[in-house]
Amino acid sequence: MTELRELARRLLSEGTVNAVLGWEEGPRGARPAFVTTPDGADRLIFDHRCVHNLASYLSPRRPHLKRLGKVAMVLKPCDARAVAGLIRETQVPRENVVLIGVRCGGVVTDPDSDATLSEATVADRCRGCPDREGKLADHTVGTAGPGFPGPSHRAQKIEELAAKPADQRWAFWQAELEKCVRCHACRQVCPMCFCDRCLADKTQPRWIESSPHARGNMAWHVARAMHLAGRCVDCGECERVCPQGIPLGLITRKIASVVAERYDFRPSDDPAVPAPVGTYRMDDPQEFIL
Amino acid sequence: MSTTTFIRTGDLKGLVADLRAAGVGVAGPARTSDGAVDYRSITAFDDVVLDAQPRNSLKQFFLPPTEPLFKYQRKGSDVAILEISATFPPRVIVGARPCDAAAVDVLDHVMNWDYKDEPWFGRREATTIVTFACPGGDRSCFCTAVGLGPDATRGSDLLLVPAGDGYYVEVVTEKGKRLVDAYPKRFGAGAGVDATLSYREKARASVEGHVPARPDVIRQWVQEHFEDPFWADISLRCHGCGGCAAACPTCHCFDIVDEPETLTEGTRRRNWDTCQTSVFTAHASGHNPRADQCGRCRQRVNHKFAIYPARFNDILCTGCGRCARTCPAGQDVTEILNRIVAMATGQGGAA
Repeated sequence: MTELRELARRLLSEGTVNAVLGWEEGPRGARPAFVTTPDGADRLIFDHRCVHNLASYLSPRRPHLKRLGKVAMVLKPCDARAVAGLIRETQVPRENVVLIGVRCGGVVTDPDSDATLSEATVADRCRGCPDREGKLADHTVGTAGPGFPGPSHRAQKIEELAAKPADQRWAFWQAELEKCVRCHACRQVCPMCFCDRCLADKTQPRWIESSPHARGNMAWHVARAMHLAGRCVDCGECERVCPQGIPLGLITRKIASVVAERYDFRPSDDPAVPAPVGTYRMDDPQEFIL
Repeated sequence: MSTTTFIRTGDLKGLVADLRAAGVGVAGPARTSDGAVDYRSITAFDDVVLDAQPRNSLKQFFLPPTEPLFKYQRKGSDVAILEISATFPPRVIVGARPCDAAAVDVLDHVMNWDYKDEPWFGRREATTIVTFACPGGDRSCFCTAVGLGPDATRGSDLLLVPAGDGYYVEVVTEKGKRLVDAYPKRFGAGAGVDATLSYREKARASVEGHVPARPDVIRQWVQEHFEDPFWADISLRCHGCGGCAAACPTCHCFDIVDEPETLTEGTRRRNWDTCQTSVFTAHASGHNPRADQCGRCRQRVNHKFAIYPARFNDILCTGCGRCARTCPAGQDVTEILNRIVAMATGQGGAA
């Protein structure tokens, strides 16, 4: 923690950055922090409750953050995949952000949790995560536990669902998506949902009905899944934020496994690896093209 | 109304069964498939979970997330409007929390302001709210700062407070009295008000002091500091996800949409909406008077603690704390209100 705070203090006092995005102790557990003075660096924390993907704040869709100017961001290894995604898709110039990597041995699911990190409390996305530090970072601080072995429970659930007949899968998703109230919180927190104007907000014509009925909800979640194919970094923020408790990660993870299988692409913290949506290879599977 | 009575726990179970047998819909806080507690339809009182604040509020029982208003048919250049006949079957909500029951009453102002909202009041009249005094809240609860409390009766038809082998019953409204009178065998003599006092005091102590009970100070500061840098400061962490508004028992804004279903027919609906999104205020010209999240965060506080009080002399917040609990970025209304009171009373307030 001292190492992190000292580094943040130095970057701010030397004027390298105007603000450091990290975590602080809030009224309800760990939360995002925006430190703009060297003294404020003492607010910074990093522990297993720092679940938030701060890369969302780098997205150009947040104009109110532009006034901060150049920022440094504290970076978990998994969040590095989101930053790499934003760089890969030319949303964030690499030189515009200083990345302070923190070594990480896993986080819990709820930033308000008073539970210690254990096999029982660790976030599902951390099960089997091989990364203890993000290779994209300019600085790397802290120490990390050994991490947690896989497989993830969600991967098992996806396999269970995939093994079911189509009508049962359909019934499962109908019941889950019926709960959606179309607040679009899943979109708002997603670091990779950075469109200036979302397809779902367009009204002339209205591509996706905004009403939370079966038709509108299915259209929204299918569109969201397709738009995140080969882009989702599995930070789990959509699922964490959903006020209705819909297991959105099952959708994005399933799509990610299809992309991995067919296009040999897994989101990494290397922005130089081309995204499958932006590239074409002669041997791409294309038997679905009629 | 100020009569009181008593119901034993066994009779409460019987009452729910009686209501169901009479064809009355019953809802209450119950476990969902994902392990949370939501207000939802229940089949028996045993489904009711009283020791956790439900994730949702009561508002969807009166203002559903989506609601068809009418159907339309185009014939050449004419449009025919086809009314959707709305019926509101009788319903009893068992196990409401005082903050959620009060919210419905708070919203009656705006729903009967420039016109009387028929679906809202249709459901209001068809619904009896049986509230259970709150056992106490967590650090985000602040009902006592907005004129309510863990045993507030506002918006409730009956208020039940645990006492002895059942519940002390305060009959708050005529509608509540009708429910008691309809099932006289279920109610009777039992523990008196004295037996409820320690429960009430313990609950109040758990929520008091989280926010100063100074709504006038908050209102005045908000009215006088529209351009204060405070708003830009608190909005930094906001994603504009609107989770706070979805969870809020008093956020009631809606959007109206026409949805074509065939080439000539469609439905006009109203859907939940929130001031936390950019499209909420986007003009057809492309101009947006709330250009970024600063204005949207301010709007939420302003509407609840200044605009609604100015218009209806009532606060658009019942202190339930759901916005703080649901926020993925740790935005906390108790912190915001504390900072406003501190700034207004000259005791600092900078982060």
